[in-house]
Amino acid sequence: MRTSRMPALIAGLLFAVTAHAADTDHWQLPVAVKKLDNGLTVVVSEDHSSPTVGISTVYHVGMRLEPQNRTGFAHLFEHLMFEGTPNAPKGTFDRVVQGGGGVFNGSTRADYTNYIASAPISALEPLLWIEADRMKTLDFSDKNLDNQRNVVKEEIRVNVKNQPYGLFFWTDLDALAFDKWPNKHDGYGSFEDLDHASIADVKAFHDTFYQPANAVLGISGDVTPEQAFALAQKYFGAIPSRPLPARPDVSEPLNTKGRHLEQTDALAKAPAIAVGWKAPDRGSKDQMPMLVLAQLLVGDDASRFYQGLVKGREQLLQIQGGVNFALGSGTDYAGPTLFGLFAIYKPNAQPDQVLAALNEEIAKVAHDGVDDATLARVKTKMLSDWYGGMEDFLSRADTLAKLQTLWGDANVVNQVPGWINQVTADDVRRVAQTYLTDANRSVIIRRPVAAHGKDAGAKPAKH
Amino acid sequence: MITTTLKASLLAAALGFAVVAHAAEAPMPKELPPYGPERPLPVPQITQRTLPNGLTVWVIPRNGLPKVNVQLAVLGGTSYDDAQHPAQAELMAALFNEGTDKLSSKQIAEKLQAIGGDYGASAGRDSIGVSASALASHSDELLELVADTALHPSFPAKEVTLEKTNALQTLKVNEADPDWQSMRAFNHAVYGDHPYARDALTEASIQAITPESLHPLHDQRMRPERALLVVVGKVDAEQVLKTIEQQFGSWKAQGPAPADVLAVPTTVSAQKLLVARTGAVQTNIRYGQPTAPMRDPDFIPLTVANTVLGGGFSSRITQDIREDKGYSYSPYSTLDVRRNGGNTLSVVDVRNEVTGATLGELSKLYQGMGTEPASPEELMRAKRLIAGIYLLRNQIQSALANTLARYWVSGMPPSFMTTYVTDTGKVTAEQVQAMGRKYFAPEKQSIILVGDPKAIDPQLKAIGSFTPYKP
Repeated sequence: MRTSRMPALIAGLLFAVTAHAADTDHWQLPVAVKKLDNGLTVVVSEDHSSPTVGISTVYHVGMRLEPQNRTGFAHLFEHLMFEGTPNAPKGTFDRVVQGGGGVFNGSTRADYTNYIASAPISALEPLLWIEADRMKTLDFSDKNLDNQRNVVKEEIRVNVKNQPYGLFFWTDLDALAFDKWPNKHDGYGSFEDLDHASIADVKAFHDTFYQPANAVLGISGDVTPEQAFALAQKYFGAIPSRPLPARPDVSEPLNTKGRHLEQTDALAKAPAIAVGWKAPDRGSKDQMPMLVLAQLLVGDDASRFYQGLVKGREQLLQIQGGVNFALGSGTDYAGPTLFGLFAIYKPNAQPDQVLAALNEEIAKVAHDGVDDATLARVKTKMLSDWYGGMEDFLSRADTLAKLQTLWGDANVVNQVPGWINQVTADDVRRVAQTYLTDANRSVIIRRPVAAHGKDAGAKPAKH
Repeated sequence: MITTTLKASLLAAALGFAVVAHAAEAPMPKELPPYGPERPLPVPQITQRTLPNGLTVWVIPRNGLPKVNVQLAVLGGTSYDDAQHPAQAELMAALFNEGTDKLSSKQIAEKLQAIGGDYGASAGRDSIGVSASALASHSDELLELVADTALHPSFPAKEVTLEKTNALQTLKVNEADPDWQSMRAFNHAVYGDHPYARDALTEASIQAITPESLHPLHDQRMRPERALLVVVGKVDAEQVLKTIEQQFGSWKAQGPAPADVLAVPTTVSAQKLLVARTGAVQTNIRYGQPTAPMRDPDFIPLTVANTVLGGGFSSRITQDIREDKGYSYSPYSTLDVRRNGGNTLSVVDVRNEVTGATLGELSKLYQGMGTEPASPEELMRAKRLIAGIYLLRNQIQSALANTLARYWVSGMPPSFMTTYVTDTGKVTAEQVQAMGRKYFAPEKQSIILVGDPKAIDPQLKAIGSFTPYKP
């Protein structure tokens, strides 16, 4: 009796210090994958708890692969995917989805472009038909191009030109931190480049990248894999594939000298700072430890940066960040990305003090690692967030399609919890030492126009 | 009962679509497959309980996702704040997780992290709300934490001082945000002196707060007989109810309750306000008027009318202003209707040079809601979208908890979440048009513009005289 109780007790104690998630919190998602003859990969996750379906079509092309004199083109192209085809004229898409009780959207990121819809299951066939229809061809009309060029410019005005801080922690930080054009250029695009975009460009982009062999179709919800595979074959099976161009090498080594930039902001009323460190490659042994480190440093209110700088030193009004911040998550990138931060600092703080405080918090981890209790808490939060990100069918379909596209394996969805759990305090210390160095760091200080003049007089700006 | 009615009405709508689609708009592609048969709409199964202290408790057990969501809503939001100190309830709620009789701010944050938790407390116009979630195995700890923070905040002096400092700085940061600027002016125009206008902190209301003033405010607002607690997730209903009795059973009201808030007057005259933002490259247009409370019979047909006007991608506003004219990225209209009233609102951000033209289009589109009946296809699409959004909300635990709480706060029964779909399904084109005349007459809409006066003034001459807005 004693011998059998002991291991249970030990296991119980070990459990208490390694993770706070109980066995009942384990969640295995069903994943079925099939590749059609034309190269389209279909990923299905069945769930009959709601009579709805989420659909995500992910194309393996994003801002990194847009033509060099056409910044913003991948995103402009995404807009044109909603503007009709010879079979389904402009407006049809909106009517079909909404008439089916559904909602839809699309987004363009560095490594992919996704087209998502969520609807009652009764709309599944019409939605697949119209998704397949625009994979075949588009209504390549100048009128649509002009219309969406205007819409995209308005989008850029809303989010950049008329907005305090103007997403500098994305576009400007990438431009500073990276050296290769695919990684450093502005993916929203210059108005000049958008103006030069032509129907010939649209056609070439569709011909090259929008085809079955470059796409993954994710379907999650009230449908069986057999039904979903049959419908995918029925609507997408006859679309021909074309040869795909070789992917350029976009990799970059870590930076060996810190980079620093000072900017002014005509709209903002409080100064802000953006910091980015080049992050581990997708799939490398350092990726999961880096995600744990990011959660430890800036993941929530218990994090070191929040407790140390928003509380504690009271230098910051707010801070946010993470791996692949601000446009993605720690698992949906496939090329160089940053562990990025954006913070608004307060009148009592100077940017040098903020940077020093961030470094103090990093140094604690780089020298001492992280205690078991904290590591367990951080992992529990990550597990909870990972599951939470899969709650609705649309997010589930989209996550699966993105993992299949970028990792080559949708089953990663069920492996990530285990990978997180395996990360040790030594792993966390190692990635802090390797990646969060001054040499690998890029910093932008952005001050309101008036305050900048005052500050600059008192203290010469660094470059 | 509800399920069968819903199924029948949606099927009828689907069949109606097949017949009329060709009449009103361009025909659908020949190869497009038809929509499949409707499945019954799921109705949330709510275990309801009222504790002896008056707290209403609803529990909805689920399977699958190993998480639990908790939503606490207490009638006592910013509309119960006094006119000199608007939105103090907001600052009070923000301090719930900054220290209790038992735990420090940091301990609360670490406890949450240890259970995979999220936590947010805030004040809306009608209610103070706490939304929280955690891994399902920690539902007891989550409920304990929600009870401790919401019922026993200690308002530590150091945390109150930091919160005030940050709130003042946040005010300054917000002043640079055109959307925030526009909504402050819009609420002023639509709600005037009504307490619904008191939804944003001011310097004076922040300065006036002390730990000593927060305790009586908490006593007045946080009262079990004015509260609803919703739990959704992978839990056992009886076990959760036991925990809730332990954690919330001793909650007692202190002193008098706040006085009721009157209904929003819907007869205020429309205003035209210009918020100057020098150097702006866009004008942020906000366009709308007050409405009756949610319990008013107008709410259901008005919901359908708003969806036709600007509620989805195939709505009149999106199709005209974005897809035809290319004036705006994301124009839409929304209905914000609550316990004591609400408002219609169109949100349209446009480049400076088409500001006047967009206002002309909006006026035409609004006029059209009273003069051009919704086509059968438009009506069908609006109803299907409303039903589809119901299904989505029902799927996501936090959205379900939040929606149920919002309806309860607005004075509606729990069944309203579903009858709302059946009832909107019965709305006719005539009712939509009547709502158009009543709520979308262009001359009755207040117009708020945030933009650069120099760039847009000449375009405004034809529209009328705009008063500079100064908060």
